[in-house]
Amino acid sequence: AALTPLPPPAGTDPATPLLCRRGAGAAVAAVAGDAGCRLLTVADLFDRVIRHSGRIHSLATALCEKRLPPRDNELGKSARKCHTSGMLTPNGTEYAQKIPREELTHLTLKLLQAWKEPLSHFNQHIEHHQELPDDSLSKAKQISNMVHELKTGVEKVTEKMQSMGIINNSLTGMASSEATGLSISNEANMMSDSDFIHCFRRDSNKVQSYLKILKCRIMPENSC
Amino acid sequence: MKQKLTSSVQIILLLALTAVGWTGQSYPGKPKIIRCRSLEKETFSCWWKPGSDGRLPTNYTLFYSKDSEENFYECPDYRTSGPNSCYFDKNHTNPWTTYNITVMATNEIGSNSSDPQYVDVTSIVQPDAPVNLSLETKTSAGIMYLWAKWSPPPLADVSSNSHVYHYELQLKPEEKEEWETISVGVQTQCKVTMLQAGVKYVVQVRCMLDCGEWSEWSSESHIQIPNGESPPEKPTIIKCRSPEKETFTCWWKPGSDGGHPTNYTFLYSKEGEQQVYECPDYRTAGPNSCYFDKKHTSFWTIYNITVKATNKMGSNVSDPHYVDVTYIVQPDPPVNVTLELKKPINTKPYLVLSWSPPPLADVRSGWLTLEYELRLKPEEGEEWETVFVGQQTQYKMFSLNPGKKYIVQIHCKPDHHGSWSEWSSEKYIQIPTDFRVKDMVVWIIVGVLSSLICLIMSWTMVLKGYRMIAFILPPVPGPKIKGIDTHLLETGKSEELLSALGCHGFPPTSDCEELLIEYLEVEDSEDQQLMPSHDNGHPSKNAKRIPKEKDSDSGRGSCDSPSVLSEKCRESRALPSTLQTQDVRDVQENKEGKRSWETECIASEQKILLFNNESTKETTWPATQLPDNHLFAYHSIVDAHKITLSTTNVNITSFLVGNEEHQSQYPITETLHDDMEKQREMENLHSKTDQTTVQVIKNRPNDKSPFLNPKLMDYVEVHKVRQDKEPAVLLKHKENSRKSDKYTVPGTSKEYTKVSTVVDHNILVLMPDSRIHHTSVIQEPAMEMPQNLQQGQAEKNMSYCLTVPSECKRETSGSEYMDPSSFMPFK
Repeated sequence: AALTPLPPPAGTDPATPLLCRRGAGAAVAAVAGDAGCRLLTVADLFDRVIRHSGRIHSLATALCEKRLPPRDNELGKSARKCHTSGMLTPNGTEYAQKIPREELTHLTLKLLQAWKEPLSHFNQHIEHHQELPDDSLSKAKQISNMVHELKTGVEKVTEKMQSMGIINNSLTGMASSEATGLSISNEANMMSDSDFIHCFRRDSNKVQSYLKILKCRIMPENSC
Repeated sequence: MKQKLTSSVQIILLLALTAVGWTGQSYPGKPKIIRCRSLEKETFSCWWKPGSDGRLPTNYTLFYSKDSEENFYECPDYRTSGPNSCYFDKNHTNPWTTYNITVMATNEIGSNSSDPQYVDVTSIVQPDAPVNLSLETKTSAGIMYLWAKWSPPPLADVSSNSHVYHYELQLKPEEKEEWETISVGVQTQCKVTMLQAGVKYVVQVRCMLDCGEWSEWSSESHIQIPNGESPPEKPTIIKCRSPEKETFTCWWKPGSDGGHPTNYTFLYSKEGEQQVYECPDYRTAGPNSCYFDKKHTSFWTIYNITVKATNKMGSNVSDPHYVDVTYIVQPDPPVNVTLELKKPINTKPYLVLSWSPPPLADVRSGWLTLEYELRLKPEEGEEWETVFVGQQTQYKMFSLNPGKKYIVQIHCKPDHHGSWSEWSSEKYIQIPTDFRVKDMVVWIIVGVLSSLICLIMSWTMVLKGYRMIAFILPPVPGPKIKGIDTHLLETGKSEELLSALGCHGFPPTSDCEELLIEYLEVEDSEDQQLMPSHDNGHPSKNAKRIPKEKDSDSGRGSCDSPSVLSEKCRESRALPSTLQTQDVRDVQENKEGKRSWETECIASEQKILLFNNESTKETTWPATQLPDNHLFAYHSIVDAHKITLSTTNVNITSFLVGNEEHQSQYPITETLHDDMEKQREMENLHSKTDQTTVQVIKNRPNDKSPFLNPKLMDYVEVHKVRQDKEPAVLLKHKENSRKSDKYTVPGTSKEYTKVSTVVDHNILVLMPDSRIHHTSVIQEPAMEMPQNLQQGQAEKNMSYCLTVPSECKRETSGSEYMDPSSFMPFK
């Protein structure tokens, strides 16, 4: 099993390396016993991306609660419509477990892709918002970077699973989905800050849940 | 004149009045105590109404006295109960006292007191009105009733909140005047039936403490009794919860049903959808709830929920409730919590906790990930120690306090969202005390070994105890002419004591030291032969005799009494050889160290002798008295006298005759000494006992009596010089040099030479007068002789102690040195 190394993550969070950063040679050599960079299994990769998505969700929650103190009945008041809500995503355990792995993986990547551009846009937007505390700004930036890392990581896992034959290479729709992502990102830019954060929080949770489901479907023996 | 006078008086009065009127100032008006009241029998307050203040600043002072006392006290607290009041706190309130209370108003001009008010705290109890009166209508079995609730009156002192109040409730329709009163009792709630539907009621409640007064009525509460035409109240959605992130349930609380059967409809719509759905399942989760199964549960979707209550009169819709199921996940508590105590061989025991996720939660699909937190505390502890465990279902607890019982609980929550479950049921684990069998064995071995060592040591101690004692406490060296005493008395066994006493008696040492006694001993060794019965058995009997001594005589008596002495002396071949020697011998047999006693004893004797001389008094002692006294005091000596008299007539007589005759004695003594020496030598060959005796005697000179130089010593008997007066010449007999000069101090001769005693076994003792004198003193107490009276107590004591030793010596010396042959002539 050849492990194609990822370029070092562009993230600013060195504490959460998604993958081994030593490059291809090192990663392969790791099989021979480099303790610092072992050959990562799919399970390891899944654990990492799941943890990473969890952190993103936590950050989003923190940001959300800072800006919008959780008032239960506020939830539906604005009748928000997230730009990703048009995507047909599994919203229950049954569906999520029935949907083909490839499709679930694809959906996950789609979700992440859909947030890349709106997040960077959001960052630029709130940089000009003086009323936002610095804390929020840094959190938003962090989220943006982490989403990028997460997407890279999920792509990595996907590649590996494909190379191992766990899922087939039917992710051809990626390109088209990127296009749709661009189209809906405009929609995202129209959202209010609170709606934006709320929607992102929800989708980050979605991503995490899908990744967990995927992992447990692929490797049910692995702490599932 | 009269008119003038009256008019002038009037004028004056007028003036006075106008003066008052002008200034408007006067002494204050009379204040009035309005009421006194106790809220709970433990404190009370009094209020007063000020009178006119006389247009001047007026101070009000409340004084009170108690019925049992004369004293007046001032109000302890003017502030707590507001202006013009006085508050008596617990410390100032006594329920069995009648207070006499007066308020005095004072200003510059004068003061004025209120009428006294008598207060009995028990009778002025009136609590505050109850509070928090709430009303609601309910319908049961088609009958509508009013349900009223309230709280007891709040007290300033919360700690005394345990009072039991009786309550009364009154109500009336709003438009009516008459109240209907209902006695409630001690409960704080009341159910009122028979109400008119559609009428608005006014309700009040009041309370009473024991037999005090009723409180004021509480503030009015109003309620509209629904008539049959009103719709139900708005229901309230309480909460929604998903136990496993797959389904969820919402509960609501119905409002008043308006007196009619009411239907509740649960409606929801999802985010982004306009369509409204009704609850798919009203029953599964119980009354007033709606259950959403998996199919109806969507995540990352907001549900907009409302509950609509409907009866025949109309309907009412609750406020909308928005739910995102992702964030309402609250799992059930973990199950199968097990606590296991692991005891690895090499380390301390530790606790292993394991548990299972709640059965509903499907953690295997990855859809729901649970995180766990456990808490534990010692059973009696107050604070929980909380440990976040993460996603694992097992945890090892180290460093638990041994010997304590711990309570453990675990709860769980989904990661990143949702809320914590309830705590699992309490599990208990007893941590054993922290020692292992291994340690026990080691300790037991150590214990056994150490006790064994102790045993051995104590055993050897018992066996070799004396030696060890001797080793640790070496024998006290022989004293250098010290008084008897302390050593002996302190350490002495009875035998030693006896012997010591026998020799010395116990004069106060100080006295003894000042005395010098000189004596001359003469023994007729023939006597021994004459009395074979005594002599023969002696050496062998020695051991036996000693016990006898003990038996027959107690304490110093054994030594004191000549009878015993003589007996002993007779018995011992070495002759009376002094009790000491005998005893010492015995002791020596056992312990060598004891020898010192003997020498000490002798030395002290010598000293004593010396002192005797020193304290010479006139020889008022009739010569004839001596023998008598002796006879009297020492019964057994009588025999001795007889014997000696028969054998040594001359000596005795000569002694008795008087001082002048002492000369005659000397030859005798001389001969005696010659003989004695010989005999001594002979005796040296004798038994060991004898040797000891000899030794003793030899020791004597060594023992530094100033008079007895080592050289002279052997042969010498006593000689004394008195320090006070002219030195007395002592009789000394040396084989080599017989110096008559020594004896020849004329003046002294009188004093020194007397025979104090003649003891059996042919011993003659020459005693100086002084000494005789003392002897007599001793004996006198017993005999109650007139001379006795003349002597001071100190002297008696001295003499007492002196005589005894001297006697011993006499015997001793006699036994050893006397050559029977030397006595022959006298016979």
